Amino acid sequence: MSTETTLRRSVGTAAATATSAGLAFAAIDYLGVVSILAYAPGATAAFAILVGGLIVVLVSAIFSELNGLYPSAAGIRLYLGRAVGNRTALSVTFTYMTTVILVIAADAFLIGAAVRHVLHEPSALAYVWIVVLLGVALAANLRGVRMASWVQTIVTYTVLVGTSVLSIIAIVHVGGAFRQPFNIFGSGSFSGIQAIAFALFLYAAFEWVTTTAEEARRPQVITRALFIAPVLIWIVSTLFALALAHLVPYGALHHSATPQLLLGTRALGTVGEMWMLALTVLTALNTFNGGFLVASRFMYAAARENNLPRPFAKLNMNAVPWVAVTSLTVVSAIVAALVFATGQWLMLVSVGAAIECAIYAIGSLCVVRLRARVTSDRPFRMVFAKPLASFGVVLFSALFLATAFADPKDSRRFSVVPFLIIAVLGFFATLYVALVVPRLERAAAARNAERRPTRRPPRPGTGPDEPVAGRVDELP
Amino acid sequence: MADWDELKEALADYTRSCNNNERLRKMQRDWSRVLHFVCSDSDVTFSMHVDRGEILSTPEGREGVPDIVVTTTSETFCDMFWGDLNPVQKYLRGEITVKGSQEDVMRLDAISYVIWPDS
Repeated sequence: MSTETTLRRSVGTAAATATSAGLAFAAIDYLGVVSILAYAPGATAAFAILVGGLIVVLVSAIFSELNGLYPSAAGIRLYLGRAVGNRTALSVTFTYMTTVILVIAADAFLIGAAVRHVLHEPSALAYVWIVVLLGVALAANLRGVRMASWVQTIVTYTVLVGTSVLSIIAIVHVGGAFRQPFNIFGSGSFSGIQAIAFALFLYAAFEWVTTTAEEARRPQVITRALFIAPVLIWIVSTLFALALAHLVPYGALHHSATPQLLLGTRALGTVGEMWMLALTVLTALNTFNGGFLVASRFMYAAARENNLPRPFAKLNMNAVPWVAVTSLTVVSAIVAALVFATGQWLMLVSVGAAIECAIYAIGSLCVVRLRARVTSDRPFRMVFAKPLASFGVVLFSALFLATAFADPKDSRRFSVVPFLIIAVLGFFATLYVALVVPRLERAAAARNAERRPTRRPPRPGTGPDEPVAGRVDELP
Repeated sequence: MADWDELKEALADYTRSCNNNERLRKMQRDWSRVLHFVCSDSDVTFSMHVDRGEILSTPEGREGVPDIVVTTTSETFCDMFWGDLNPVQKYLRGEITVKGSQEDVMRLDAISYVIWPDS
């Protein structure tokens, strides 16, 4: 049966592109550029961002194909489940969702630091701002406040255009020469690879737009967004990197959690600083709106599926899964506190970049496997899918290793900390899926055995015990 | 395969359960939507008009411009409206497909969860 019906409210290319770019371009991206500069100094950073963008074309193709196969908010579970099995899919998805928490925590920390910096308050007050920000986000979410799609679109384009315009002013207005052009291996043997891996992080999360596939006017809308949004991010990030390299010495960036404010001040004084502060706060609207929504709804669905404890599906009177939203806020506040206490904000960039590379490698693997297993039509088919996706598995695995063992501040040093953090997250996710999920499933089965009898009356001429499709006691 | 009469019976029970549930009505007080349901195994389609959480009608055919379109087998629809299956499990396995916003998809499942907490 055809379901080609036009929805009253559906998402077009401009809105989907804004969603994709908005999810990717968070406040942490300003720090991501600083990490690239550590490995690809000066104008060379722009080259690394370009190479990262070219690699992202492959990611766009991979997720376009997967989204075409499973155009659903549950798409990641469906294609991972069919490619690598349900248990592995769950472990990967749980680990993936931790990046949402990292980004929420990072943005809360960065915005808190930016507000404190502009108000010239003691550094301890930054954490007060973090708690206030998360508290406001929590209250808005619990009350069911959602940003309308058109507001999200305007916010995203304002952030992208605002950052670009200030960067152009910084490059053109102030004058001077770029330092160290095309010196991609200038900071060590592997610095070019690491610079590209960090550049990839700037585009990270753009693929989350696939969770809105069910709202898209046509399947092609998501595909277009997946290819257009990275171009916008490439332009903005390149301009920002060139402006930073042009105006702000790396020594000043090295210890700063607010490189965008330094650039604003150097370019336009107080006006520039306030300009960048306003844009930083605006990025939080997208992060808190999109991040909380994606992660809390995932937790709700997982609890309803008996993969998380049932309280995570509890709804308040605004139909919001309040336990999930509150837990996300508390965990984000704890992560932000750890970052605040240790000063290791660039570590979030390393961990986030490495997890994204791992997800891209797994996505590539899904394309390789599903090309052989699923032959149905799809609105987007990659050309040379098997060789390109196989190449993706190798490439993104290498980039995962490059970032997981990189010190985001110092290109001359290796660090095992990002890898250890990811290994611990992955270990606990796997342990949870192996030990806790089966217990939750058994508890659900026991509840179903004791539950009320089937409500549906038996069809005339059939026995009461005849199985009916999809009953609640049918567990995956 | 369930026919329209069986679906109608299930829908009548579902409508009663929803409209008589005070907690659900309060929770869905800001939720006014037109839903279309498409049976993938027959040519049966039907609609549901919800106004501030109250189900006003469930006519056969596609009536009005939908906010949400749900597609699955007629048997699954029957079991879903009788509260005999967990819609999320079917959705996460790709057996129920939905066109609509993520928020509306969750609201739709929330109805089943509130009426039948043991589902």
